[in-house]
Amino acid sequence: MELQRNVIFGQFVDTGSFVHRMDARIKLAITFIFIVASFLIGDFVGFALVFPLLVLIQVVSRIPIGYLLRGSQLFLGFLIFILAFQILFYTGEVPEGGYLWRWRFLSISTAGLYTAGILGLRVIFLYYVTTMLMLVTSLVDLTNGLELIFGPLQRFRIPVNELILVFVIAIKFVPIFIEEVERLARAQTARGVPFDEGGAISRARRIGRLLVPIFISGFARADLLSTAMHTRSYRGGRYRTKFRQMKTVPSDWAILVLVAVWMTMAWLLP
Amino acid sequence: MQAAGGTPVIELRNFEYTYLEGTPRASEAIRDVSFGIQRGERVGIVGPTQSGKSTIIDSFVHLLRLKPDQVFYDGEDVAASGYDRGRLRREIGIVFQQPDSQIIENVVGADVAFGPTAAGLSAKETRERVEESLNTLGLPYPDFRLRYVHALSGGQRRRVAIAGVLAMHTPVLVLDEPMAGLDPRGRKELLELLTRLQRDRDLTLIVCSASLTDASLLCDRFIVLEEGTVVMDGPVREVLKEADRLAELDITLPEPVIGAREMRKLFPDFPTELLTEDELEAELVKRIGAA
Repeated sequence: MELQRNVIFGQFVDTGSFVHRMDARIKLAITFIFIVASFLIGDFVGFALVFPLLVLIQVVSRIPIGYLLRGSQLFLGFLIFILAFQILFYTGEVPEGGYLWRWRFLSISTAGLYTAGILGLRVIFLYYVTTMLMLVTSLVDLTNGLELIFGPLQRFRIPVNELILVFVIAIKFVPIFIEEVERLARAQTARGVPFDEGGAISRARRIGRLLVPIFISGFARADLLSTAMHTRSYRGGRYRTKFRQMKTVPSDWAILVLVAVWMTMAWLLP
Repeated sequence: MQAAGGTPVIELRNFEYTYLEGTPRASEAIRDVSFGIQRGERVGIVGPTQSGKSTIIDSFVHLLRLKPDQVFYDGEDVAASGYDRGRLRREIGIVFQQPDSQIIENVVGADVAFGPTAAGLSAKETRERVEESLNTLGLPYPDFRLRYVHALSGGQRRRVAIAGVLAMHTPVLVLDEPMAGLDPRGRKELLELLTRLQRDRDLTLIVCSASLTDASLLCDRFIVLEEGTVVMDGPVREVLKEADRLAELDITLPEPVIGAREMRKLFPDFPTELLTEDELEAELVKRIGAA
């Protein structure tokens, strides 16, 4: 019963690699480029060009691939489920002889497969870069980076600091919640609710029992956190100064340019 | 108490455990732990935080990813395939550190009834068990059976959690930090209750704690843990003789033992294996009289 084994969302795994040591702002910018690229790139050749760069990031980061894949099982399963619908209910134009199989409104067509394939790659690409960003960047760096990037918007009375704070707390709460669910599941198993046995449906029904205590502890935790911040006179935004200043080095910029050029090529070349 | 020989009711053999093994976030909890607990024994598993107490408790009823040949109940490997875990969990009752986590239903009566119902008892028997357990814990059945659990105080919720486990009539009772968060009166009541229960029902009692104060009055034997290994294992008084070593481990010593350690400054051979203040006093009177 180790749920954390299967969830990597919001986790930070410090291997001390080069990617980990990069400036958080540059990593955020690179992620942004990747996200834009995932929308612009529209065919298999483009994604094939992107692939080596992702392999490179994976190798350099020293995050074990098995850990990443096991933690992504839930996501991948869900994606396959969605894509199956995308293929079977494809409503776009299908050229002559493009149908491989057809039954009433359900069909499998080459055009449908192609669209689903591109969509799948796009989503996986998006998922990979955002997951990777969190795996290689600590929440402190992520917060500081975001605040520095969006800080200027505060002039326009946008509560940048508060928004980022909420965002970061939300991410931080995910692993805490998983731990909480795990603790509850263990304690209830000990009392005779077998969380570790039975089929998918009976397991899902048992999870329902955890909802009330999870909500209660969630609110209690949020309450505690806000009290703690008040008592320590937390004040966000421009009133805060940082002990650790972020510094970019030339290699950071070089990598940013490299990624930008690489993505432009993947978009325009095919 | 201690039945020499025979199959231990719970036995750990070279137990080792690492959380999230095989991932970058792996953390070693238990390095190498072996001990056996006989039926009817009253054992205190003590050690500082992070010493592995809770992991050991979880292992008793197979709440972890156990490997075979490490944890045994009545001589049977609980990690063997086809082992009846449901039965195991009806034999060993655990009161966890945070009582809230093990309360399943929203209403007190329903929660205490959960275990007996799941074990297949009739409605009448279940009702009797619930009434008995709640009354035993000082939560009068007519007043409390329809109360909403989340509206109770922390101390009351702990008692509900204990009642829920007692209602199972398990031959083995395990408590993780049972005294945490209780006021002195609550502690005294719980101590008396557990002593009485253990005697009346001939329970095997296992108490986990980072404080020896309550455990020393409740147990006959201490298993002392540090960083996932057993550093001492023996009768309470034998373990208390090595008070200096215990103090080094960051374990809270019983008051009389703390007093005795102070007395050692005057009388270097002052014994530390004292359980009550009366014993300390008697020893002191003896020494002063002699001097």
